[in-house]
Amino acid sequence: MSDLARSQNQETFVLNLGPQHPATHGVLRVKLTMDGEYIAEAEPVLGYVHRMHEKMGENRTWAQFMPNTARLDYLGALSYNHGYVKIVEQAMGIEVPERAEYLRVITVELNRIASHLLWFGAFVLDLGGFTPLLYAFDDREHILDLLESVTGARLTFCYFRFGGLYNDIDDDFITGSRAFIKRLRKRMPEYHDLVTKNVILITRLKDIGILPAEMCRKYGATGPVLRGSGVNYDVRKNEPYSVYPELDFDVPVYSECDSMARYMVRMDEMEQSMRIIEQALDKLPAGPIMPEKVPRMLKPEPGDYYSAVEAPRGTFGVRVVSDGTNKAYRLKLRSPTFSNLSLFGEASQGMLLADALALMGSLDLVIPEIDR
Amino acid sequence: MIADLKSEFAPLAPVAIIETDYQVKGYHLDVEVGAGQVVAVAELLDRRGFFLESITGVDWLGKTPIANQVEAAGEPAAVADSEADAQDGAAEKSAEQMEVVYDYNHTGGELCRVVVRCRLERVKPEIPTICQLIPGANWHERETHDFFGIKFLGHPDLSPLLLPEDADFHPLLKDFKV
Amino acid sequence: MGKEDLQPAIVQFAPLDKLLALGRANSLWPMTFGLACCAIEMMAAGAARFDLARFGAEVFRPSPRQCDVMIVAGTISKKMAPAVQTLYDQMPEPKWVIAMGNCAISGGPFVFEGQYGIVEGADKLFPVDIFIPGCPPRPEALIEGILELEERVTGYRRWPRVEAV
Repeated sequence: MSDLARSQNQETFVLNLGPQHPATHGVLRVKLTMDGEYIAEAEPVLGYVHRMHEKMGENRTWAQFMPNTARLDYLGALSYNHGYVKIVEQAMGIEVPERAEYLRVITVELNRIASHLLWFGAFVLDLGGFTPLLYAFDDREHILDLLESVTGARLTFCYFRFGGLYNDIDDDFITGSRAFIKRLRKRMPEYHDLVTKNVILITRLKDIGILPAEMCRKYGATGPVLRGSGVNYDVRKNEPYSVYPELDFDVPVYSECDSMARYMVRMDEMEQSMRIIEQALDKLPAGPIMPEKVPRMLKPEPGDYYSAVEAPRGTFGVRVVSDGTNKAYRLKLRSPTFSNLSLFGEASQGMLLADALALMGSLDLVIPEIDR
Repeated sequence: MIADLKSEFAPLAPVAIIETDYQVKGYHLDVEVGAGQVVAVAELLDRRGFFLESITGVDWLGKTPIANQVEAAGEPAAVADSEADAQDGAAEKSAEQMEVVYDYNHTGGELCRVVVRCRLERVKPEIPTICQLIPGANWHERETHDFFGIKFLGHPDLSPLLLPEDADFHPLLKDFKV
Repeated sequence: MGKEDLQPAIVQFAPLDKLLALGRANSLWPMTFGLACCAIEMMAAGAARFDLARFGAEVFRPSPRQCDVMIVAGTISKKMAPAVQTLYDQMPEPKWVIAMGNCAISGGPFVFEGQYGIVEGADKLFPVDIFIPGCPPRPEALIEGILELEERVTGYRRWPRVEAV
């Protein structure tokens, strides 16, 4: 029967993955044309959580749009806060006090670790290992405690202000951050022993889900996906902003292009973020966290502006067109995972379904950020 | 890098090519081209190792498009033209424009962000696709079609990407009503 | 005829119902179904620190056929609404719905004049039993919501109510 079917070339069938599927991390849907266990064609279908952020950008004032940035990518909310305040500061020429810049870096990097920890847990969960998720959430809660104490939120932070910050930190935050880094430094070898060196994980990831650097470039992939393909590109280094140039850190790059490389990039990035936080805490200057004068009414000069930051998932860009009023005329949000996911169709061709899901996990998707 | 690019762009006869203040604008080079040049520009930038960060649109309904001023004398000033059109009441309707904006960047070496923009007639917004050349443009163009109704000629599938499958509206048009 | 002559029925359904309700309330099976930000707090509620398993509601099932609680955790877009409705319809009776977070309650921050993309609250689609406000609600709030739902099912509160300080 199966021979007959094959001879008639009828063996492909359509498999609908999502929009409600635990492996798609939310409400992504992938229309798969399957040839047995192999993917003949994969077409991601987006928009299941399109929340009109860009439309809202046009009908709210600059300050009113702030909370939206946290809901774009709720795992790396502070990076998105940062990208948005940065473009308005750049367009208006607002000077940010040094202490505020340092605190921005500290909180953004804490947030990055929290994001990578959650990815680590969820990724291994995709591959069938449940326990690491509980470890990762345990550590993540410590970061959330710290961030909650200064920002007032656990997830959807709205901490940055045009020109500075909403709230200064206290001594508890500093000691807490140092204690957390000490704790995570001890935990990282545990993670490596428990997960990285696990033979099942290695078999599932090594040499699977190859994304050549040229493919990444053609699709505009950035962040850990690009760095796992051997391209040393990090906005924090290539297009320095805030106080990153004053801090010493490396950009982890792996050239294997496989899912394992992307896994290793993120694991190493957590270590680098810890280095950044430690240095920033050491160098943290005293002083105000808001400039003396911030215009009450924000009205950037007419024109268009672009600004990018390194979010946990890649380059987050904001393009703003101002017509000189207190609202944006057009606000375009360039989300990293939108581009990173766009290569999935080409990359997953001919892969086993189970491997393609590992590839998808290694892209670290946050769906509301793709759909915006 | 910027000087190189400028000389390479010259044969394509862009409408305007402007060096901008990166500290304020966040990009280095602003290239305005006609719809016919979009593919050639993409090819040039692709050859130079650039990647496409995003494509988006701007709807200039009833407004004079805001643009960077051309500093060098003798270059055709698109801004002046459209301003003149806008002042002319009768011509206003036909002069209403939309804009497609491409953000290019590259990963190695000297930092250089290039913005390519193209003005289209609002009544018939059509522009050639670049997705055969840069596959990553596929989704960006679909999204721009979703939001603005700009048709990318030659695009394999312009069905709604972010909007529901049967959506027949373009929400980011300035005259959009529910 | 006088009532005093009637013998009580051999099979009593009311106590059985009570027993069933007790069983259901103490082992609610929610659906693994995250829509947006709130899903992360839902995961946090199930993970190490908050440990939803203490209240018997940790068996998250990806299939609606095996669930009795749907936690609508996030914004329901118009594109997603038919899928959410299908999932609800696929759940066997008896079933309950928790609307977690402002988006599931009313559309939350994404409601504005001229909005074109979202459903303004899960109760526009199907009946909702428990509303948990917050953007997103804390995991404790979700746990309280589940305890509240237990009370709905059995008619009494199994755990002491935490008084505000």
